[in-house]
Amino acid sequence: MRLPYSWLLELLPEAPAPEELEALLARLGLPVEEMVLVPRPPRGIRFAVVRDAEPIPGTELKALVLDAGREVRVVSGAENARAGVGVAWAEPGTVLPGGFRVETRTLQGRVSEGMALAPAEMGVGEYAGGLLVLPPDALPPGTELAEVWPEERVFDLEITPNRADALSVLGVARDLAAALGLEVRVPDPKPRLADLPFPIGVEVEDPDGADRYLTAYARGLRIGPSPLTAQRRLLAAGQRPINNVVDATNYALFELGNPLHAFDRAALGEGLVVRRARPGERIVTLDGVERLLSREDLVIAAKKGGDTVAVAVAGVIGGANSEVGEETTEVILEAAHFDPVSIRRTARRLGLSTEASYRFERGVDPNLPPLAALRFLELVEAWAGAEVSRNWVDLGGGKPRREVPFRPSYTNRLLGTDFPERDQLEALKRLAIRIEGDTEPYRAYPPTWRVDLAIEEDLVEEVARILGYDKIPETLPAFFPAADNLEADRPYLEEQRLRRVLTGLGFQEVINYVWTSPAHLEGVRAPAPRLLLQNPTNAEENALRTALYPGLLKNLLANRGEASVLFFELGHVFLEEEEVHLAGLLAGPYHRPGWQPGHGEGFFALKGLLEAAAARLGARVEVRPAQVAALHPGIAGEVVWEGRPVGWIGILHPAIAEALEVPAPALFELKLPLPRGRRAFVEPPRFPAAVRDLAVVVPEATPHAEVAAVIRRAAGGHLAALELFDVYRGRPLGEGEKSLAYHLIFRAPDRTLTDQEVDGFVEAVIAALTQQGWRIRG
Amino acid sequence: MLEDWLAEIRAAPSLEALEAIRVRLLGKKGELTQRLKGLGKLPPEARREEGRRLNEAKRALEAAIESRAGELKEEALARRLAAEAQDVTLPGLPFPAGNLHVLTQVLGELVGIFERMGYRAVLGPEAEEEFYNFDALNIPPHHPARDMHDTFWLKPAEGFEARFPRPLLLRTHTSPIQVRYMSTHTPPFKIVAPGKVFRHEATDATHEAMFHQLEGLVVGERITLADLKGALLAMARALYGPQARVNFRPSYFPFVEPGVEFEVWWENPRTGRGQWLELGGAGMVHPEVFRAVDELREEKGLAPLYRGMTGFAFGLGVERIAMLRYQVPDIRAFFQNRLAFLNQFREEV
Repeated sequence: MRLPYSWLLELLPEAPAPEELEALLARLGLPVEEMVLVPRPPRGIRFAVVRDAEPIPGTELKALVLDAGREVRVVSGAENARAGVGVAWAEPGTVLPGGFRVETRTLQGRVSEGMALAPAEMGVGEYAGGLLVLPPDALPPGTELAEVWPEERVFDLEITPNRADALSVLGVARDLAAALGLEVRVPDPKPRLADLPFPIGVEVEDPDGADRYLTAYARGLRIGPSPLTAQRRLLAAGQRPINNVVDATNYALFELGNPLHAFDRAALGEGLVVRRARPGERIVTLDGVERLLSREDLVIAAKKGGDTVAVAVAGVIGGANSEVGEETTEVILEAAHFDPVSIRRTARRLGLSTEASYRFERGVDPNLPPLAALRFLELVEAWAGAEVSRNWVDLGGGKPRREVPFRPSYTNRLLGTDFPERDQLEALKRLAIRIEGDTEPYRAYPPTWRVDLAIEEDLVEEVARILGYDKIPETLPAFFPAADNLEADRPYLEEQRLRRVLTGLGFQEVINYVWTSPAHLEGVRAPAPRLLLQNPTNAEENALRTALYPGLLKNLLANRGEASVLFFELGHVFLEEEEVHLAGLLAGPYHRPGWQPGHGEGFFALKGLLEAAAARLGARVEVRPAQVAALHPGIAGEVVWEGRPVGWIGILHPAIAEALEVPAPALFELKLPLPRGRRAFVEPPRFPAAVRDLAVVVPEATPHAEVAAVIRRAAGGHLAALELFDVYRGRPLGEGEKSLAYHLIFRAPDRTLTDQEVDGFVEAVIAALTQQGWRIRG
Repeated sequence: MLEDWLAEIRAAPSLEALEAIRVRLLGKKGELTQRLKGLGKLPPEARREEGRRLNEAKRALEAAIESRAGELKEEALARRLAAEAQDVTLPGLPFPAGNLHVLTQVLGELVGIFERMGYRAVLGPEAEEEFYNFDALNIPPHHPARDMHDTFWLKPAEGFEARFPRPLLLRTHTSPIQVRYMSTHTPPFKIVAPGKVFRHEATDATHEAMFHQLEGLVVGERITLADLKGALLAMARALYGPQARVNFRPSYFPFVEPGVEFEVWWENPRTGRGQWLELGGAGMVHPEVFRAVDELREEKGLAPLYRGMTGFAFGLGVERIAMLRYQVPDIRAFFQNRLAFLNQFREEV
């Protein structure tokens, strides 16, 4: 919320200086996002009255004749340039805040001596769509605006959703006053109320939607620009001045916090009804958009004949059909209180957030409408010469304060403080909270503007806010957790351990987005997406990842220049269940070539790293041939960890690699948690081993694992280890044959094996191998 | 005679030549050996004299051979060492050093600080149910606080509708873990929950749609806001040294009451200048959250344990701490995963 400092001073004359105020607001929980200095208009901008405005044929421009103390002719393209109003005229030579230098120019064959300005061009507001329009008698023509337009400090406050009460000058003033022990000058409007008959009937069909609906009446209005000071403030608050009636609603809104809406009486027929919209009902709103309403939307409707026609979307935006315009002479003012949820639903559905809806959905003081209405009447009386009515219709009436129990001892228990009871009660009273009772639990009655104060903890916070969070000491709780918490961190610890093991082996960790494009997933043959983003920031990347390796492949592409890449990621993937995966990628050699050749490449390098990781974790891992969509059909396997399949490892399918334009890397992807290795103690060997070598010739397609399994089965219980030490192809072996050479290491725990025993074991192995149709070499 | 032999030994050019000399003189058929064998033919008095002389000569020759052999071995070793010398300034084999992602490092450091204070680190899902992310945290539908969370809503892909019957979203904060944890665990406890969170935001140098948070939750019978301040102060001092201070400012998060934002006084080691850093939000667990947890527990057939408990919770952003520490100017660099970026940050803990 933008809070002009001068406006605050009007309600809180003793407010501290701006710099001090900034720190104080932060301490109160109303932090200043930005402090803006709105400067005076630059020298050379003068007040002028438009004497004549004549359209220039064939253009959207107008030729203006101005009285700026002397007659001046300028050309303006502004729609709101019209005769009889005051404008800000920049004389030639004026340098505008953007650095633009105003000159005498010729436009459409007409000399324009300087220019008439919009607020944005003067640097005093954001509105650039039309001229600053002032009453013709605002100032003597030719007056330098800089002399009557002081600079303004504006605090842009960050108001949290609970503090709807602080969305007004009055609300901020109240909080400051409570903190400083000052008095707020609450506006006390005193319009001259006339005894006018109230001209329409008002009904609320839906009192849940509108629990208070107050309407007031003013007539004899002369629509025109608002006074200079009012416009100055509205501009500083970020509003666009429109006309004296609309500005009066906005002025009262910013000052007091109650959204107001003025209807042109002439558009309301016999009266107003507050009701839900009918299915299919449409309304053209003030922004010129036709909107389709739903049965959930609360509308204000005008009674015409037997029918009712929507003239406003309640609490959100008015209708164009009842807009206050040049011809309006009578208005009905609405000062209401609407159901926050209903307003929010409608605003969300319409995609609109207005000053009104923003406040109503957060909660407005239900007892504010009478004051806000009186303030409006006072303003239109002063600004538009209106005759204002004493009679109004207030349906729903005043609301009582909520009762909240309050125990000062609880404050201290929750905060860990020692605040005396007296100080606590005093803090609450300063916030206009009424306290009843002689001892705790006290009965506290927060003012109705504090919609956020509903439970005792809310009052504790108010005490802390006013007495100061800096008074809270720093302590450390000492206790032992309940037993069922002790194992709660196991998954985290396991993940951290895996990360450390892999980085210890030389892997670089990466972190990728959890979303990706379905096309990429399909391109790298990952599972199809299960979950999609409804509202992705990038329309293509709208799928939650179903595996980690697609991200690693993207990382590989992002690091094409590197001779060697060894990445891992540990993260969530989104299949039918959300799973935690661990994936690794090796491209290029494990150590890259330099003055020595690189070394350790491809499938067996990555497999070796995985085996080393398993060894570090005390787990057994093996790879069984398997088909995996993303992998080379001949270099792919299932990873079996402690006997359980947990994922896969292999070389990326060449077709995918080709499409990505990279050499195929080695990849693995495992699902966590990995089964824990369970190893019992084994006595270290005390007797020497006997080692025999054996080379087996097998068909090319026979895997090592199969041969090893045959050997293990046949060798008997004394085979302590089996090590593959050579794989040979070529002469004198036949085509399609390979030789696998093994060390067979035999050992007994309790004695030295004899040669005869070991010979017997080897013979059994040879017999088993031969039985498979394989032969022993040499 | 002996002098000639000794000179010959001293001049032996190699171990092989020395060995040849030894064989020629002292071998089985060596000259000296022959003479020693010939001693028996001498008359006894001459024999004794000649025997002493020959044995002395033998000892002298053996000593000379040994000494020369030593010299030759030393020379050979020196030659070998010279031949084997390497330019030790050449680089070693470029084995990969291995490294954690910088955010894992910082998050791990933060978790470590709390682990030393007895907290346990717990994890939760990233695709979260609306109930846990919002409703159970006192953020019902149509609550304006939902505006503070620009949410990525999820929908099942075609064919998976039946699998995902409840509304899902990418969690907007790590706070849903509070509810998940309390609904299955008994107080008192101290936990932290590290993890990714997601906000539907346009990205720029300081905003990312995905980032990391650390959540903290302590629940017991007499947990206070002062305990929260103490915990955060301990963290701040572990991160930024003994001068660090913590400041609370009132703020609003629907799942805590009172709610605060906390700032830490941080001195930039590069400039020596201090500033208040807004690190996150915190507060005392809202009674509505305890109520939602107890309801959930009863649905699961567990005893409601949280009425009458108090607790504090906090949440802080990790990227910001990393960016400040390493002066990283653009948050988007974290997830581009360029080695040239990742390489720069080496684990400090």
